[in-house]
Amino acid sequence: MKGLIPLFIGLFGTFTFSWVGLTVIPNVQIGALNPQSDEEGTDIYPVPKSGMAQRGRSVYTANGCFYCHTQQLRPDYAAADLERVRDAGISPRAKWGERRSAPRDYVFGAPVLLGEERMGPDLANIGKAAPGQEQEPAAAPGASPPAASPAAQQSPPPNAAPQKSPGGGASAPAAANLSPSPSGKPNPNGIPPAYSEAWHHRHLYSPRSMSRDNLDSTMPAYRFLYEKRRISGERSAEALQLTGADAPPAGWEVVPTYDAKCLVAYLMAQDQSHPLKEAKNVAGAAPAPAQSPAAGAPSPGAPAAAPAAQQPPKK
Amino acid sequence: MTPAADIPLKQPAISATAGDVEQYERALIDASTRVPVLMFYASAMVWLLLATLLAVIVSFTTHSPDWFSDVSFLTWGRLRPVLMNVMVYGWASMVGMGTAIWLMARLCRTTLRHPLLIVAGTWFWNIGVAIGVTAILMGYSTGYQWLEFPPYVAVILLIAYALIISWAVLMFRFRRGEQIYITQWYLLGAFLWFPWLYAAAQVMLFIVPVQGVMQAAVGWWYANNLLFLWLGAIALGTAYYMIPKVIGRPVYSYHLATIGFWTYVLFSSWTGMQRGVDGPFPAWMITASIAATILTIIPVATVGLNHHMTMQGYFPVMRYSPTLRFTVFGAMSYTVFSVIGILISLRSTARYLHFTEATFAYSQIGLYAFFTMIMFGSMYYIVPRLVGREWRYATLIKLHFWASAYGIGLMSLMLVAGGIVQGTSQNDASLSFIESASSVLPYLRGDTIAALLLTVSHFIFAFHFGLMLFGLGRTSTVPTFLNPVEAEGSETHL
Repeated sequence: MKGLIPLFIGLFGTFTFSWVGLTVIPNVQIGALNPQSDEEGTDIYPVPKSGMAQRGRSVYTANGCFYCHTQQLRPDYAAADLERVRDAGISPRAKWGERRSAPRDYVFGAPVLLGEERMGPDLANIGKAAPGQEQEPAAAPGASPPAASPAAQQSPPPNAAPQKSPGGGASAPAAANLSPSPSGKPNPNGIPPAYSEAWHHRHLYSPRSMSRDNLDSTMPAYRFLYEKRRISGERSAEALQLTGADAPPAGWEVVPTYDAKCLVAYLMAQDQSHPLKEAKNVAGAAPAPAQSPAAGAPSPGAPAAAPAAQQPPKK
Repeated sequence: MTPAADIPLKQPAISATAGDVEQYERALIDASTRVPVLMFYASAMVWLLLATLLAVIVSFTTHSPDWFSDVSFLTWGRLRPVLMNVMVYGWASMVGMGTAIWLMARLCRTTLRHPLLIVAGTWFWNIGVAIGVTAILMGYSTGYQWLEFPPYVAVILLIAYALIISWAVLMFRFRRGEQIYITQWYLLGAFLWFPWLYAAAQVMLFIVPVQGVMQAAVGWWYANNLLFLWLGAIALGTAYYMIPKVIGRPVYSYHLATIGFWTYVLFSSWTGMQRGVDGPFPAWMITASIAATILTIIPVATVGLNHHMTMQGYFPVMRYSPTLRFTVFGAMSYTVFSVIGILISLRSTARYLHFTEATFAYSQIGLYAFFTMIMFGSMYYIVPRLVGREWRYATLIKLHFWASAYGIGLMSLMLVAGGIVQGTSQNDASLSFIESASSVLPYLRGDTIAALLLTVSHFIFAFHFGLMLFGLGRTSTVPTFLNPVEAEGSETHL
């Protein structure tokens, strides 16, 4: 090749082409989206996260949660994301989501943590998976093994001595194993209701203690976000309910630090269930809360998704 | 430091016919690059050893997550970004700049001016990476892959880069000869693209942050372009120099090289958005990147064909020359890298491979099997010319090669196979999610074995490099061959 000028023009030209094409033009197209609101301007979505959840986002970022957890759901014609139900919880278990993610879901995110790998489940709607107020009493024991009474799902009284639980821990999985559907049964092992704040705290502290099925979880324990301290006077209401090897010695308790509370606040605020004009819900269902029983019996083998052809790509 | 004239330089066999003047000129050029290039290599080696140890810990904690869970800065979520950043900015960028500067000086046939400013630049760069790593460990990661260093580190790196590369580009001004060789196209491109790329990403993410998902788009555009237009361009340029040089034969076709170069730049710079396939983006962005990824088969085919035709009849030389063996392995991995890239970005396969270990395998193959192996090859060529000694033990070179080759081969295989298994179970909604994580565990254990192999390989190489650095190499006029040369006459090509 002769001449430096054509070479330089080529080097700059090709690179500019890519830069403009993949970042500048898309930024014109989707870089200045507004939240969606209805005609009265009342039902606004999305809204910025609260202070604690904002700080929780930086805890989430600092500890690299986004390397294993995505926060995006693909449309039903592309993947099984919208057919999936969460592993834990009582029947009917929460779905991952009712609709695909859209650019508008992320307008207040900084950084936006879409994620590129799923060693852990998607968290786009993890806050929505938390048990609603009206749902907890409805924890019908119908599908549950007898050992799992609804009462066991509630947090045990704070005074429950952790030392006696190894015995309980040995029998409980045996009961759980009897169940035809092994995962996500209400665990009588002092596990809080699935995806509640207390559940998240325990899961962060000891990810493999949540159920027998969870032993293969590769999630690191985030024990440094928790403080083990001597109980002075009353046991703290925030103290984690721990069993077995995780349990602190008598007279000690494990409480979340402020960072841990922020992280859980962030997780609880993860919710993309609000309908968006540009992203239809699967099967054209009315916008329903993610864990609504309206989604039908969550027999996962029979996906409730409509044929792909009916779902236009996001427009 | 030793004055330039005192450096005992071996007479390269390839230029045995060249005149004394040319020999002397080369000796001067090599002497001018000696301190900065060795500085780059030594720093890169330290970062590589650190990355190796981190890789072992990260690999173990991927399947045994309870290690170190009490210590915030030893958890997987912090060590993993440190590992990737040390690999990219500590090892890959530094070794790449070292090789690129040496190649530039040789090809411009001019001495490197102000080598001490470049040495200062390497110190700045090292300090920048060290600060960035500390920041990630302390929990100040920015949350964008390969851009986890806080923005102030980017300022340090860009200043260091300006100190380093201005002189490399300036050599162009003093170059002799009209012809600009293929390697120089790639290197000049890499020198100009990196600062633009890095600065553009910093501005769009931190100074004037773009909104919402555009951040992810900018991050992916940056990461892929860094892999292709910075590291990949340096690696391809190096291969275009080393292969003809070692076998003593001109490049097969300049026309093919031209086509290969411009299609490479044009198409690979448009890849990246396939990492968000079916994500919350306008579909055209994803489709454009997938199309560009498929089109990268054109540069792959032309570059591969060109190298192959150059090597035609000279493949047995790989039996003897360490440089050629590493370089050809890397050049072949470029083909593998691109083909895997195409296979995992097609929408039909992305359904099963998106969000799995296979995507990680892709960047590992690019970063290690392609880039790092070519850099090892260039170090085997360049270091003896800088220190005036030959590599001491052929056995160590062979061990290094096979441990690296088997290590990265096993790692890629495990991650791709694991990714397929993982993705298939993820896409089957009747299985609980944990089963997809469980199914990939055996493959992650295989990945740990691969990481241990690479550890062996890197420590062997570091030891050997250390011997060279401290002047303990062989004093000889004949390069170190991997195997004793049997055939009469083949020496002239080595």
